[in-house]
Amino acid sequence: MKALFNTGRTSAQGQGLEAKAQPEYMEATSICMMNPVDLMDLELEEGERVLVRGPAGEVILTAVQNEGVPRGTVYVPMGPYANAVIDAGTHATGMPDYKSCIVDLEPTDDEVKRPAELMEAIGGLAYEGDTE
Amino acid sequence: MIHEDMICPFCGCLCDDLVIETEGTEVVRVDNACTLGSHKLMNAGKHRLKAPIMRDSGRWRDATYEEAIEYTAGILLDADRPLLYGWSSTQGEAQGAGVSMAELLGGVIDSTTSVCHGPSILAIQEVGHPGCTLGQVKNRADLIVYWGCNPTEAHPRHMSRYTTYADGYFLENAFRDRKLIIVDVRKTETGSIADEFIQVKPGGDYAVLSALRAIVRGREDVVPPTVAGVTKEQLLRVAALCKEAKFGALFFGVGLTMSPGKYKNVRNAIELVDELNRYTKFTLTPLRGHYNVYGSNEVFTWMTGYPYAVDFSRQIAFYNPGETTAVDILARKECDAALIVASDPGAHFPKKCLEHLTDIPTVLIDPMHTMTTPLVRCQIPTAVTGMDAAGTAYRMDGVPIHVKKFLDLGYPSDTEIITKIFEKVTEVRHP
Repeated sequence: MKALFNTGRTSAQGQGLEAKAQPEYMEATSICMMNPVDLMDLELEEGERVLVRGPAGEVILTAVQNEGVPRGTVYVPMGPYANAVIDAGTHATGMPDYKSCIVDLEPTDDEVKRPAELMEAIGGLAYEGDTE
Repeated sequence: MIHEDMICPFCGCLCDDLVIETEGTEVVRVDNACTLGSHKLMNAGKHRLKAPIMRDSGRWRDATYEEAIEYTAGILLDADRPLLYGWSSTQGEAQGAGVSMAELLGGVIDSTTSVCHGPSILAIQEVGHPGCTLGQVKNRADLIVYWGCNPTEAHPRHMSRYTTYADGYFLENAFRDRKLIIVDVRKTETGSIADEFIQVKPGGDYAVLSALRAIVRGREDVVPPTVAGVTKEQLLRVAALCKEAKFGALFFGVGLTMSPGKYKNVRNAIELVDELNRYTKFTLTPLRGHYNVYGSNEVFTWMTGYPYAVDFSRQIAFYNPGETTAVDILARKECDAALIVASDPGAHFPKKCLEHLTDIPTVLIDPMHTMTTPLVRCQIPTAVTGMDAAGTAYRMDGVPIHVKKFLDLGYPSDTEIITKIFEKVTEVRHP
């Protein structure tokens, strides 16, 4: 299924900003909010995983039902998961298309990756030190 | 110990009525803050990096501040086109030191503005800014419009401090006397309390703004029955509400700046406000996310003439968003070193940009372990401004506020670290 990919803030994403290494931040940013009818069309239940393929790559997210999201669009909280699929082009404005890329959605049984795994996949080195 | 009238260092509202209770170096209670602010203040003493860290032979190791500062100055001096990015969750004083350093290095300095309200600034540069302070809105506005934003989640106290639920000096019953219009592509919680909720088809903001402008101008005859999913009846109703208001205030978020049309959407919104000012008083304010992102625009502008994305490689300040903005520079693999301050591109930049950050020597100055940490070669932890460091921050309406310090955890401030790096750079470039 094709959908318009919209990103933005949620309060859970905002609460996680100061502790991004904690599981709460991963939970808050790795969700894909979808209209219940789209969820049904994909034969997905809330809490199951969805593979999102966009112009810059793909990412696995947890499907969440949200009636406020119109059919044919998905809403993903801003963060490393959303950015895994967004292209870096800015049309000479400095601003990427955070709210207007088209993605492909399909159900998957694969697990959602941890943020550290996402960062390592692009050449980073996870820091596991004690930060308490 | 109880600290009163404290300033919240989370979003651009900079709420200044917080009561914070501390026991030793722990925050035990925060009153008056929203969920985002209290989360930051209650937890900002935890999850802090204890000392600088550096990558060495594929592993992380602890480092001293002196070693980390020396390393940072070294990579910046070795670079032909260093990028100094971030600057939104720090104090104005650090931003000023950053601009001076970028100038001396012949580098590029950009703030998170380029991926939030940068397009708003481009629009303001084209047609001006009919703005006012949040105090004026609170006391006078009887019509509030939120366009492409969701204050309930992103600025949770905006409505209770300045708009819908705030008592106003010139409003007898503020909640009843104020009308609320919400424009969004999805129905959020904010939309459910609106007098008028306008659901626009994604990418249709420009068309809806144009239709409203036409109606306000008296040319409703040119408006088709629906515009981007919005009926003409609703547009006529909304235009009438706006014209009847004594004082209207339009707030907009990244729903306008990030959607197709980008800065042209904002330009159209400003021009709608301009039209409405033929009938009544109407103002427009961008809802800014970081507590001092507005400050970065102010400081950069006093010092260079430009609000963000300032390039010093020509020996003079040069500004061309789309070319000198951080995302474009990283996507083109143009910079050969990066200093990231008080921001988290690891979480908020497209993947392609992050790939280049990992290829070049990158240093992060941030109190916490963030998504950018795995991408850098060295991280220097600092104090959190508004918590264990004081400084200047600019509210979303451009009012500078002194944010206070109420804890001492022994970390240096961003200004101290940047100044030390700047001194090392100066020793080499201007001995």
